[in-house]
Amino acid sequence: MSQDLTTIEVDQFYPHPPSKVWRALTEPELIAQWLMPGDFRLEIGHRYTMRSRPVAATGFSGLVEAEVLAFEPEKLLRLAWRDAGEGNTADWTLTWTLHPEGHGTRLILLHEGFDPDDPLQRQAHTIMNGGWRTGVPKALAAVLATW
Amino acid sequence: MPPRPPVVAESIEDRVFAALSSPVRREVLRLLRDGGPQPVRQLADQFAMARPSFSEHLRVLREAGLVSERKEGRQRLYRLEPVPLADVQEWLTPYERFWRERMAALGDVLDRMEDA
Repeated sequence: MSQDLTTIEVDQFYPHPPSKVWRALTEPELIAQWLMPGDFRLEIGHRYTMRSRPVAATGFSGLVEAEVLAFEPEKLLRLAWRDAGEGNTADWTLTWTLHPEGHGTRLILLHEGFDPDDPLQRQAHTIMNGGWRTGVPKALAAVLATW
Repeated sequence: MPPRPPVVAESIEDRVFAALSSPVRREVLRLLRDGGPQPVRQLADQFAMARPSFSEHLRVLREAGLVSERKEGRQRLYRLEPVPLADVQEWLTPYERFWRERMAALGDVLDRMEDA
């Protein structure tokens, strides 16, 4: 469990130096290849919009209003993410930190600001607990594959 | 941010989410998670607030099933109840999955990039 009940922490090791990982995090044409297209600029206060796939189970619209909050080259990048979808009050902070490890880099993402009091997020939780779990879409995909 | 309607605690799940909406209560859960079961006094000492207010926070946590209380001698001992929290973790699962997928895709991009 992460340090806060309303925080997600995900980390991954890459066999690449921090300088390279940093480029993938901050060059728009590279960001578009793994996250989503957007007009990113490495500049504090820069605001931009990104469009990605919605996360249906959570009410995440896929349209993100982002802002660069802080950075330290090859070490840290902090962004604000607000869901631009109608009625969605998501207001998150994403913090990427890069840690040299052997010949590679461990990248840690801290996704903060989940609001347990947000009706949409609670509704998403209810839906998931109502059996709409990964098993259902998987089973559906299996059925469709046999057609 | 528009003002939200008050949360009416109906199901136990609503109660859990309402309980977690307070930073004070989340901090209490963190203290119990990291320090194990402990007496009320020890918990209350961590917060600069009047005792009745703190007792009210504990009541909300108890009614949500997130903590339980038992008497030990003259002390009231509080402990964390893990089951509702496991449910809350599941609430974040789709986001976690989203990021794991994105970070895997980031690995593919790095493998394709020229070394600068």
